[in-house]
Amino acid sequence: MPSLNLLKKLHKPDARIKMERTHYGIKFFMPENLTEDELLKLLVRIPATAYKLPDNQGIVLDFLSRPCSRRLILHMINSIVWEKNIKVLAWLSKNQDSMKLFLSAGLNVEEPQKNSIPKQNDEQQISKIEPQKKISALKVVYNSMRSGQRIESEGDVLVWGHLNPGAEIVAGGSVIIAGKLLGIVHAGGFGREDVFVWAGCFETPQVRISNKLCYADPKSTACWRKSVLITLDDGTPVIRENKFLLNLSNEKK
Amino acid sequence: MAARVIVTTSGKGGVGKTTSTANLAAALARFGKKVVAVDADVGLRNLDVIMGLENRVVYNFIDVIEKVCKLNQALVKDKRVPGLYLLPAAQTRTKDAVNPEQMIALCEELKPEFDFVLLDCPAGIEGGFKNAAAGADEALVVTTPEIPSVRDADRIIGMLESMGKSPIRLIINRLRPNMVQDGDMLAKDDILDVLSIDLIGVVPEDENVIRSTNNGEPMTMNLDSPAAHAYLNIAERLLGHDVPLMDLESYATRGFLSRIKKFFSGKRK
Repeated sequence: MPSLNLLKKLHKPDARIKMERTHYGIKFFMPENLTEDELLKLLVRIPATAYKLPDNQGIVLDFLSRPCSRRLILHMINSIVWEKNIKVLAWLSKNQDSMKLFLSAGLNVEEPQKNSIPKQNDEQQISKIEPQKKISALKVVYNSMRSGQRIESEGDVLVWGHLNPGAEIVAGGSVIIAGKLLGIVHAGGFGREDVFVWAGCFETPQVRISNKLCYADPKSTACWRKSVLITLDDGTPVIRENKFLLNLSNEKK
Repeated sequence: MAARVIVTTSGKGGVGKTTSTANLAAALARFGKKVVAVDADVGLRNLDVIMGLENRVVYNFIDVIEKVCKLNQALVKDKRVPGLYLLPAAQTRTKDAVNPEQMIALCEELKPEFDFVLLDCPAGIEGGFKNAAAGADEALVVTTPEIPSVRDADRIIGMLESMGKSPIRLIINRLRPNMVQDGDMLAKDDILDVLSIDLIGVVPEDENVIRSTNNGEPMTMNLDSPAAHAYLNIAERLLGHDVPLMDLESYATRGFLSRIKKFFSGKRK
């Protein structure tokens, strides 16, 4: 039970916790003339329901110029923040030492700006965004794909063989053709650009990556019949020859 | 006796399926086997013409399926080679006149009577191909050394594999060694590289094919020509004999020398 003196002291105007309605919720101004124990007792007396705010709002604790000890912060977190399930958005203080202490504890020391807290409408918009579909695992084809055969996969595709003329692969991710790439490959078929096409022997007149279409001509393409990596660099298709491994055409020679 | 049922197919038209079927049937019969060549190209029958038996066709295999006649009534015996028979297709019907189950039943009916049942498949990948392939256990895929033909053969091989046909073997038809040497035609190895199946034979381009087709006499019956030799070799390989591939380059050279001879002797045609 608090003593009579303490009750008298707490009822003084300058010993009260001032609250201010803000765009992010409520800002608490801590009285500077109370001891740390008195302040803790005052905060404990505030019923938990008083801290209840909409989901997108929280409170900011402003300690003004009063110095804060580790003990005070620890008790506040244990007995007030966690106990009453309060969402504290920031810990503010004009006292440099207190600020350092907050920072060292990993607490946010910046008052939320107007646009930083999601409004109700924003939240609704966020909830409207469909969660990203789970990307299926790598699909491996353990033989050559023949003309007329087609694979469509949301993830990556590996063909452990040739992709013959007339065969097609549409992959949401990257595509690896271990043998000859003679058919049609579309990597990033659902819009991704961070994908690649790797071919053991590049012999196809056309490769598709994301929304880009790349044409290759046997006479003018330096990497023709060579092992290549095809990527999109800043939206531009780039074909790189694998110069550190013997490619199939060299083996033939 | 339980016949080996082999479908001759290609995907692309005009590559020599019917010619191959007729010549292989005649060659196998020459080797003492009892063979029936079934024309599965309903509505566009040609096998009877190439085998020179069109005048003797009375019934066809659709009549057999529809129980209009018995199997023996529809079979046409080739009197030139013992053991060679033709089961013709209907020219006045469409490919919808038969379904895969009926084709399987027909092949089952033929199996006890023959050593080999060769099915001449229509071009394409639709119903006609599926009907013909349904009854077969093995497949011979015919291709010419042209990119469209190889691509279609690849498609057909994929479909045959998915249907569980085995073995699927390749005949490269109408190869011109001179053009291959000049780099103007796909070489045997290029084709095998793409198709990745066993090669059973290479048939060189040969003008005797046109002659024999128009005469209604398969080359393998008695003609001495490169294509006839190639088909006889393929027939031997079908019988399980180890026969080396023909040296087509020597044929090409022989052809070139004979042309020079003809030029100087004034025997040009």
